[in-house]
Amino acid sequence: MLQNHSMKTPEIFQARYGARAARVGSSLPRADALAKVTGREPYACDFYHPDMLWLGVKRAGVPHARLRGIDVAAARELSGVAAVLTHDDVQGSNRQGVVRKDQPVLVDDKVRHAGDAVALVLAMDPASLARALELIRLDLDPLPGVFDLDQALAPGAPLVHGDNPQGNLMLAGQVTIGQGLDALDDCAVVVQEVFRLPRQEHAYLETEAGWALWDPDGGLTITASTQTPFRDMAEVAEALGLERDQVRIKAPYPGGAFGGKDGVSVQSLLGLAALAAPGVPVKIWLDRQESFIASPKRHPARLAYRLGAGQDGTLQALHAVLHYDTGPYDHLGGVVATLGLEHSGGAYVIPHVHLETYAVYTNNPVGGAFRGFGVPQVNAAMEGMMERLAGRLGMDPAKLRQKNILRPGSLTPVGVTLDCSVGLADCLEQAAGHRLWTRRRPWKAAAGPHQRRGVGLALALHGMGYGPVVPDVANAKIELSDQGRLVVYCGVVDMGQGNASTYLQVAGHLLNQDLAHLELVLPDTARTLPSGSSSASRTTFTYGRALLAAAGELKVRLLKRAADMLMVPVEEMTLVPGAVRHLTSGRELSLKDLAGFMAGEERVAVHSFRAPVSPQRPSDDPGLTLHGLPHRIFSFGAQLCGVEVDRLTGRVRVLSLVTFCDVGNVINRQVLEQQVQGGAAQGLGYALWERMRSREGRIIENDLSTYIIPTAGDLPDMELVVVPGFEPEGPFGMKGAGELPTDLPAAAVAAAVADACGAAPNRFPITPQVVLELLHQGAARNLA
Amino acid sequence: MTRVWLPSSLEELWPLWAENPGAALYAGGTDLLVRRRAGLVRPEALICLERVAELGRIEPDGPEVFLGAAASFSRLLSSPLVTEKYPVLAAALQRIGSPQVRHMGTLGGNLVTASPAGDSLPPLYTLDAVVELVAVGATRRVPIAEFIQGPGQVDLRPGELVSGVRLPATDGNLQHFEKVGSRAALAISIASLAVAGRLSDQGEVLQIKLAWGSVGPTVVCAPAAEAALQGKKLTPETLAAAGELAQQAASPIDDLRASREYRLALVKNLLLRLAP
Amino acid sequence: MTIRFEINGEKVELEVAPDARAVDVLRRELGFTGVKEACGQGECGACTVLIDGQSRLSCLMLAAQLHGRTVLTIEGMAHGDRLHPLQESFIEHGAVQCGFCTPGMILAAESLLGREPRPDRERIRQGLSGNLCRCTGYQKIVDAVEAVVRDGGEKP
Repeated sequence: MLQNHSMKTPEIFQARYGARAARVGSSLPRADALAKVTGREPYACDFYHPDMLWLGVKRAGVPHARLRGIDVAAARELSGVAAVLTHDDVQGSNRQGVVRKDQPVLVDDKVRHAGDAVALVLAMDPASLARALELIRLDLDPLPGVFDLDQALAPGAPLVHGDNPQGNLMLAGQVTIGQGLDALDDCAVVVQEVFRLPRQEHAYLETEAGWALWDPDGGLTITASTQTPFRDMAEVAEALGLERDQVRIKAPYPGGAFGGKDGVSVQSLLGLAALAAPGVPVKIWLDRQESFIASPKRHPARLAYRLGAGQDGTLQALHAVLHYDTGPYDHLGGVVATLGLEHSGGAYVIPHVHLETYAVYTNNPVGGAFRGFGVPQVNAAMEGMMERLAGRLGMDPAKLRQKNILRPGSLTPVGVTLDCSVGLADCLEQAAGHRLWTRRRPWKAAAGPHQRRGVGLALALHGMGYGPVVPDVANAKIELSDQGRLVVYCGVVDMGQGNASTYLQVAGHLLNQDLAHLELVLPDTARTLPSGSSSASRTTFTYGRALLAAAGELKVRLLKRAADMLMVPVEEMTLVPGAVRHLTSGRELSLKDLAGFMAGEERVAVHSFRAPVSPQRPSDDPGLTLHGLPHRIFSFGAQLCGVEVDRLTGRVRVLSLVTFCDVGNVINRQVLEQQVQGGAAQGLGYALWERMRSREGRIIENDLSTYIIPTAGDLPDMELVVVPGFEPEGPFGMKGAGELPTDLPAAAVAAAVADACGAAPNRFPITPQVVLELLHQGAARNLA
Repeated sequence: MTRVWLPSSLEELWPLWAENPGAALYAGGTDLLVRRRAGLVRPEALICLERVAELGRIEPDGPEVFLGAAASFSRLLSSPLVTEKYPVLAAALQRIGSPQVRHMGTLGGNLVTASPAGDSLPPLYTLDAVVELVAVGATRRVPIAEFIQGPGQVDLRPGELVSGVRLPATDGNLQHFEKVGSRAALAISIASLAVAGRLSDQGEVLQIKLAWGSVGPTVVCAPAAEAALQGKKLTPETLAAAGELAQQAASPIDDLRASREYRLALVKNLLLRLAP
Repeated sequence: MTIRFEINGEKVELEVAPDARAVDVLRRELGFTGVKEACGQGECGACTVLIDGQSRLSCLMLAAQLHGRTVLTIEGMAHGDRLHPLQESFIEHGAVQCGFCTPGMILAAESLLGREPRPDRERIRQGLSGNLCRCTGYQKIVDAVEAVVRDGGEKP
């Protein structure tokens, strides 16, 4: 009764939804939905095989230590154990990492955080696996660790990487525009604050999972829950000492990822284990607690801001000092800190800035990519500064923003000319005219007993893509199958955001096909083409452009071949669902018949597209440029939030959340709503509930009962207003929308809570206890 | 390998248990199986009580109501005996875990686990519940406040199990429950307050029982606070005064969910909700 | 030990380790991988199955507890090619993103509608509050269930 894991786009979906035309602009049902609602979608964790071996990891359990030895004898002798592996079994570099290769597959010299993998066990069954892992003895020589920013940066602090020339500083970067710091002295008003943002866990429902098979003749195949199959292939090959063409990565739909599966998690471990068990499938599936310990998180941050303005509210100068706790490995920490820097001045024109960003090594959990990528932190801070400035000047917060927002052609806070589409003014105008804002006074006055209400406003922008240096490339491939279907070879993972379905919609629109004649091949390094990561709000934009070009090329070819066969002029031919039709005679050639007349290669079109980058260089620092500064295309948004605060318990209920966004033209409104609602939900979690603290390098909120993500009962119905927009560079005028919604809620909720309490928070999440303190401060202020 | 039994009556249970005295008893499994997975308990055998008929009864017994120890929270919630007579208990049960957890969890589990955060416990204190214990050929009744002796410590003798609770008739017109958790559902109590009592037509307190959860090692009662409210109307002032007395009875701790200070504030503030 | 129960309309008899968890037997032995696991401790609802029509957590049940019961997993919701109205509504209303919570969510909704046929949005939210979803923000899931309530939710 084992599930069939080779299932393609289900026939039943075709039967039910096949006749729906794939038109851009329609809320077409997602191609993956049917397999998912019937439980048939095979996720990486769903593989079972009678002969398979279970893979488990012995983790360090201590945050910083020198590895003296590993005693695996007792574990090896246990019956039911097939292999026990350590760094001695790794033939390659034993190092992996997205930017810097500084993370061991299995620790060989030093443990740098409690979740480091030290040894592997392959066993016949889960019980033997668990026993064997307990029997492994690690001989660890504990080292003093660094567990917060100050500790890590103090002179003489223990070093996480002894060979790093900057000590525990992983990346330091600065940008100065105009007169920089000096300009603050000339400002009529200066407000300042230090903000603290928590570590946030992705909490994707499917924990890290996958399976691998080593066929000595055919190579290593790894099926894993990942966002980055092509990069994984390269990393696994190098770390394990294989050639790239010996490694194949298949990426089924992950059960959520949000950045947390950007980079290798279990892939190298699976590869190493498979090499030890030729011909036998090996499977790993981390349990929740292990996933929490081992996986990268959103960086905790400390952000010190000083913002200066004229008496009329015109922004003059900003000094921002950003510190991100990046944990023990580079991962994507430098890129996160750099994107944070670029967005630290928010969506405003500020002529004079001095911005500093620091990514700091610690022995805490690894900091990595998480939807928003450094921006939710700085946006909470910058918008918090705008609220404080409005308060100081006695100005309406919307009017203060109106005065200062970025418009087409503006210079961003890092001094880069905006030459993408910019719909921020429309977003703000819609927000300021929304009933929740215009009628906020009576709404607040209607609060029940013991309740206070508040309304907050926030703006944000979010850059798309990798920036100027790392090639932001997608290679699309589309094929007319011998069955007469158009097959899109999807090189970018769909971790739930719906991009794979959107690709079908884009190709179907261009080729005038319905869903019955469209098919999808999921990312597989042996079948699809390298198209970069599923990340950075680039997924639909970059691959979409490549696909449009490939589909356009195939279209021309199909029309030409059909015209030749019918011996009519090509201009008189058109594509209709399942066929090519001669417009004047009505004669048709089915796509299936047409495919029969075309050679294999002729039925395939590929196209490579590289996203446009900015030629501007706001900083001489090559490190910042390498790490992605600056971006060229941005999405923009505003958000209104209405909260009710309980004066007795400090509980905050979000009653209204309205998002206004400029994301260019909308290809599928339903998929956009999914992104906005889901992204906002994660942002609300970040604002109000979620924090993963650590004590001496060990996480405190270590499972889903203590790490609190919102349930259906905690979130409101949300509203979305899309302002008309068209980005000329985007496929059908779209821009990325995946991250913007996550950047906004911490700021919007903070503003609303401040409005309700009479005092503004500077620590997140805004817990009930914090709210009681704010109410107290607000009351004291009122008396004074 | 751990052996498992699912007896359907006490008659079936007794010999099984006698032969396997080291077996752990459970009904819903929402606590024991979590602790077992975490390696905190390693029972040599398991006896699941979910099918023991006598433990699933929900029925009136003279003026009292008997609630079987292995009746799930959702079954209790679907019984008018609970929802109409003891709304304070119903309100608490409604806030336990999630629908799935309420389909599984039981009063017996809450009683024997004796966690200060067991949400059904404060209402049972205010309702003067009596815990009924059975052993082979013997039955014992113990008031809940005596049954629960400390966190995880209960007056349960070898060979005894909780068969249910008896709730006395109530003529109260005041029943109230509030739980503060980390989120709307799937939340362990940070603090809770259960209130049961009777007000005169003028709103004066004729009788009142107060019990707080999660602000001490067991459920916290505050007779001084109750006495302070006796004969008074529930105004912000009288409630605040009672709340301050209750704070003296509470001994909350700092944990990862909340601080001691916050919990102490809640002890008083939750009372203030009673002011009309 | 030998257990006998009905799953998705079929009677099965199975030899299981007595202390095996229900979720493991359903996934590994019977291949019902639509039963997901995401926390192992009853905090997420991904492993929800219906036992005699009621939603329960298969990660906190022993396989032995399945004996004599009627079990429904997501694989048993559709009848042949005819989807259950909830499944159809989830597709139409965009309630599916990564899809990992979806089986448990649909079963929780089915259990809710079984005990309360006409819940409003607030009651739907409460009824689904035992199922964590990290992708959707729940709104489209509530839309999907509400639509089934509105349309009378005729069963296939």
